Amino acid sequence: MSLHGCEHLTSLKAAYGIQPFYIIHSYFIACSSIEARRVKAKSCFCHTCRYRGLRVHACLSCVYFGCYNEQHIHNHAKTKKHNLSVDLSYGTVYCYACGTFVYDEELENVARKQQRAAAATLGIKRDFAPWEPGQDEIELLRRNPKRRKVSENSHIGLRGLINLGNTCFMNCILQSLTHTPILRDYFLSDQHHCHMTANPQQCLVCEMGRLFQEFYSGVRTPYIPYKLLHLVWTNARHLAGYEQQDAHEFLIAALDVLHRHCQGQGTNGLSYSSSHHCNCIIDQIFTGGLQSDVTCKQCNNVSTTIDPIWDISLDLGPGPGSTTAAIAAGSNLVLSAVGDPALPMAVGPALVDLPTASLSPASGFTNSPSNYEPTSLLDCLKRFTRPEHLGNSAKIKCSNCSSYQESTKQLTMKKSPIVACFHLKRFEHSTGYHKKISTYVSFPEELDMTPFMSSSRNNSNGYTNQIVRESATGLSCDNKYSLFAVVNHSGTIESGHYTCYIRSHKEQWFKCEDHVITRATAGEVLSSEGYLLFYHKQLLEYA
Amino acid sequence: MADLQERKIKDAQMRATINQKLVETGERERLKELLRTRLIECGWRDQLKAQCKEIVQSKGLEHITVDDLVAEITPKGRALVPDNVKKELLQRIRTFLAQQSSM
Repeated sequence: MSLHGCEHLTSLKAAYGIQPFYIIHSYFIACSSIEARRVKAKSCFCHTCRYRGLRVHACLSCVYFGCYNEQHIHNHAKTKKHNLSVDLSYGTVYCYACGTFVYDEELENVARKQQRAAAATLGIKRDFAPWEPGQDEIELLRRNPKRRKVSENSHIGLRGLINLGNTCFMNCILQSLTHTPILRDYFLSDQHHCHMTANPQQCLVCEMGRLFQEFYSGVRTPYIPYKLLHLVWTNARHLAGYEQQDAHEFLIAALDVLHRHCQGQGTNGLSYSSSHHCNCIIDQIFTGGLQSDVTCKQCNNVSTTIDPIWDISLDLGPGPGSTTAAIAAGSNLVLSAVGDPALPMAVGPALVDLPTASLSPASGFTNSPSNYEPTSLLDCLKRFTRPEHLGNSAKIKCSNCSSYQESTKQLTMKKSPIVACFHLKRFEHSTGYHKKISTYVSFPEELDMTPFMSSSRNNSNGYTNQIVRESATGLSCDNKYSLFAVVNHSGTIESGHYTCYIRSHKEQWFKCEDHVITRATAGEVLSSEGYLLFYHKQLLEYA
Repeated sequence: MADLQERKIKDAQMRATINQKLVETGERERLKELLRTRLIECGWRDQLKAQCKEIVQSKGLEHITVDDLVAEITPKGRALVPDNVKKELLQRIRTFLAQQSSM
């Protein structure tokens, strides 16, 4: 087998050139015109048995199509001594004299060119190609013969982190980041090129790269992330010191510093809010688009804004401005509970936090289930994306009817991020008191964000047929996510401890508590309290 | 009996018509591209490649033809296609046919 075909192909090419292949390939294999597609649709069948389907071959010497599976093309080749044919499904050339497929560089170039042209006429993006090592990579592989194979039960990537004095808030975020599949792929494939050329030792992105190297080196003794801690201290001064910090605050600060260092900006560079149109790895992975639609009650004019977000903070406890409704709902439950002795257990949790409801005036919202305390992530998201009446005291000037009007506001996701980070607001800082909300909020292992997307708000998705649309949205995997890390806080708002669960492979969960790593079950993870929830998109688009 | 025969012929005609429509409109190429992407994503391609390598290594490069490999790997390959990939493709074909018939 070589890239220069066989002697039979050579003599055929000497007699007729590449023309026969060129014509067959452009009309029956890779069509670039409507006419060619029509011809292809009509005439690709076996001339002997009229079979249409896979592995019908075209003779390269005369006008004959025959199927390979029933050997009709073989018989043709034998009787007519036409040794070469093209597979109409794949464009590969077969030689019956040699009894094997032949590979010819010239023909393959023709085929590739026509396939690209054909794909372009149909608007198919053929960006996805399996990785083939280039010259440099072959050389690199040759010089580094050691290979690490990752099997189902290998522990590679798992490493404890030493607590440097109340730094469990940092450790659990580092564990979550190092087990973010797409971030891991970025760092392990060495794609970061340092932009902090003046002082590369100060680059947090480079330090993250070193952390990934340490985690996936196979060493199993705990790692001491002192350099990383120091870098965070110098770059995010509000986190410096030996006090316990909020893990969420640390996550956002770390992402911000990473994002700035990706662009070579030092501590005094632009902040996140002013430079969000960025293509750095942090933005590619974590940035989602939050759409806010404000509808004027008077003229129904909708003004839309889209803001980039790195995480979604979700309120727990009764919704703001809904005290009356919540209490009303609560008392209904009490009444029904009294009437039915079987119920009190079930309504217990819903009543526990009622006294904490803020005493702001009630809005016109009743009946909305979101006025209850959310007990699941989906509840929280429903509440997050429901239309909210802005009320009499918050009139907004409508750009359409130019008057101050009451309006409703609705938040939806315009762009779903690759990694969705949900922050359950368990720490309440209201005037006069600070308190931790320990309500159990259930969260799923697999999450579909489709109902919370802006496209669901407009409710069409481009399908005209309703049945087709409904079944298509049910099947679409575009907004499906899998849980891969959960950060938990135990204790009170004054003193507590952070731990996290991370997923190393499918269904392989581990609990990380500073330097100790133990195996965990999915059940344990899903029944934990949950403070930060990290979800990874199941399918990535190749845009 | 005659009914069964008739239905078989009708089914075959239907299949041919659908196939022709898929090719004519280019939808078949789009579906193929989608399938290709999905199979790569879910690891099917890597899995099959590894199995092919194993077969070639065990039989020896000199003693195996593409036909042998195809015969041995095809049933395995079919069995390994994930259900949700099949479902998605089926859905896409349904959608396409619904659009065609409403036109």
